[in-house]
Amino acid sequence: MAGLTLNHLYKRYDNSGKKKKIKNDFAVKDLNLVCEQGEFVALLGPSGCGKTTTLRMIAGLEEITDGEIFIGDRLVNKLHPKDRNIGLAFEDYAMYPPLNVYGNVAFNMRAKGVPKEEIDRKVREIAPLMQIDDLLDKMPVKLSGGQKQRVNIARAIIREPELLLMDEPLSHLDGKARQAMRTEIKRLINKIKCTTVYVTHDQLEAMSLADKIAIINFGVLQQFGTPTEVYDDPANEFVASFIGEPPMNILETTIINKDGTFFFTFEDSNLQIAVPKRYYSVVSDGFRCKMGVRPMDVLIGGPDSQGTSEEIATFENLGDERRIGVRVGDVLMMLITEDEKRYKRGDVIKLEVREEKTHLFDIETGDRIREKN
Amino acid sequence: MARIQLENVKKAFGKVQALDGITIDVKDKEFFVLFGPAGAGKTTILNCIAGIAMPEEGVVKFGDEVMNLTDPAHRNVAMVFENYALYPQMTVYDNMASALRSKLYKASEEEIAERIKWAAKTMKMENLLERLPSQLSNGQKQRVAMGRALVRTPNVFLMDEPLAHLDAKLRNSMRTELKEMQANLGSTCIYVTHDFMEAMALGDRIAIINKGKIVQIGTGDEIYYMPCNEFTAQLMGEPQINIFEATVAATNDGFDAKINVCGEEITLALPKDDNVYSKIKEQGMVRCDIGIRPQNVKYSFEPKEGYFKSTVYSYESIGNKSVIVAECGDYQLRMIAPNGLNVEIDSDVYIKLEMDHIILFDFESKEYIVRYDEASFIALAASKEEE
Repeated sequence: MAGLTLNHLYKRYDNSGKKKKIKNDFAVKDLNLVCEQGEFVALLGPSGCGKTTTLRMIAGLEEITDGEIFIGDRLVNKLHPKDRNIGLAFEDYAMYPPLNVYGNVAFNMRAKGVPKEEIDRKVREIAPLMQIDDLLDKMPVKLSGGQKQRVNIARAIIREPELLLMDEPLSHLDGKARQAMRTEIKRLINKIKCTTVYVTHDQLEAMSLADKIAIINFGVLQQFGTPTEVYDDPANEFVASFIGEPPMNILETTIINKDGTFFFTFEDSNLQIAVPKRYYSVVSDGFRCKMGVRPMDVLIGGPDSQGTSEEIATFENLGDERRIGVRVGDVLMMLITEDEKRYKRGDVIKLEVREEKTHLFDIETGDRIREKN
Repeated sequence: MARIQLENVKKAFGKVQALDGITIDVKDKEFFVLFGPAGAGKTTILNCIAGIAMPEEGVVKFGDEVMNLTDPAHRNVAMVFENYALYPQMTVYDNMASALRSKLYKASEEEIAERIKWAAKTMKMENLLERLPSQLSNGQKQRVAMGRALVRTPNVFLMDEPLAHLDAKLRNSMRTELKEMQANLGSTCIYVTHDFMEAMALGDRIAIINKGKIVQIGTGDEIYYMPCNEFTAQLMGEPQINIFEATVAATNDGFDAKINVCGEEITLALPKDDNVYSKIKEQGMVRCDIGIRPQNVKYSFEPKEGYFKSTVYSYESIGNKSVIVAECGDYQLRMIAPNGLNVEIDSDVYIKLEMDHIILFDFESKEYIVRYDEASFIALAASKEEE
């Protein structure tokens, strides 16, 4: 059974009061998404892409312009937020400062008039799961950011919601705490097996947490798939450059035919990369497109390498790995190596590219150009 | 451009000793990074160099000149801040020209135009000159702030977390560009950051600052491979280095380390390394802390010779690779794995530590004692110094 279904969802903010009409005023445009029961789905995109609007429509905090939302089998379009059976955890913790942690976690059930014993049983049950058992007597001001967020999530899941919605719950935390909290959330969701929609602009967070990622840009769904799918098989240039750090190298290229073999060539550069055979049906001599290749798939060749000689423009030693930048025309092409050698600017290396890992994108639309079957 | 020296600089804010005897010697044309956690005193050091803060004790020298009593305007330093501090009502061009038009410089408009043209080209922002700050993205604003610092020929560039405001992607690409730019300019630069990747990538040398004191000064390689204590070791590297307790016992022809994994004692042979063995003997070492980087921890999902058993605490992607965290009782072990594995949380995992990559720390003081293959890392660090 599907945990959450979005059916042709639209959101248009009313801007009739504004002098200037915004041309593309759909915050969310024809969004279709099916999350399976128990699945952890991340809505990922740059700020202003409509991901939080989507979440708020699911929660019932924002009116829907068009389309349908199902939680389980229930159509919830017309339901009040409190009747949708959802748990919410937002970026800022919104705790009641005069109540201690126990009071905060229990607040909702107390308001509903759940018997005291049952509240107590439930709080005691969830506290060790969220590792807040020794914090129950503390006041919110005494808690660290990570602890507050744990309480916040405990409060959201104590009601055993059908659907858990989280909006950038980690963006308040600093690097170390964020990393630790990410691990905790991952473990927790794994245990409670609740369908979860998680909004983030951090591709790393989405990649590490989610079972599936929905990448959104300008209110339009770009791709919906597992982390491996969106990483290895991006639908378009936007997804390719948004997922992965450092991002995929994307270069404009003209394909040439040399005695029956096709090569990518680049303006103001000697670099030539063989076009994978599987693309032969879609390319031709003089074909213009963009070529994408991830920095891990660009390699430094050995002494007898056939690769092109290129001068190093930037060398960054990051301890665990080293990043090298080479100028191809006016684009800085990055490669990552764990090679222990310390290069410096101006050194010449042989550049090799794992040809089979290259992707082709349309030069105008940015859509993936795929081989024909 | 100049050599910048600080000798035993002290500065207190009320009862808080913000700087407690800072001594650094930044060479001419060096890219020097001040790196440490929030509140360490990094920005205060920068302010003392700029003249914004007055040290109570100690000497600030530019070249051979003592600058303690020189006011900020006459120190000829250029500062770049985290929040760009642009004049909102001025165009980018006027923002960049503002310093040169001041009473202090009174440069002619032709000269200003020439300097700005050059700076804009260096920062790749020629197309932005007519815009107002409100029409710029955050990355562009920071570019303008840097360009504005560039138009003067300052003694030193002081940069206070200039990339911290930017999102991860932009931060990384700007970092790469900054490195390229600094190499082209050949200017002295003192750079404050709390991001270890920035420190490693940019710094010719790095000073690790904590609680107003200098913990260690060295090249990135020195600090990464031979951190002077556990604090420094944990600052460098993502994911963090694994550090856990061990007891050392002599065997027939060497030493063993015994560690505790989920209540069980595991014996690991310490491979032969004359330097390490002599340090162990010298100290009569019984207990120590072992540090091992995540890339030197190997895993298997089947029982294997030389591997010990633990359970998976989590498995998560960190971009181009993933981290498996294994539960070991009092501590957790992080190890590097490829993306896209099918790893069940709480399932069994078998672990091997590459003992010939470990760093030994003192059990009590947490200070560095010795690491495997020390000589080759000293040589590696020295090779960088020679450049």
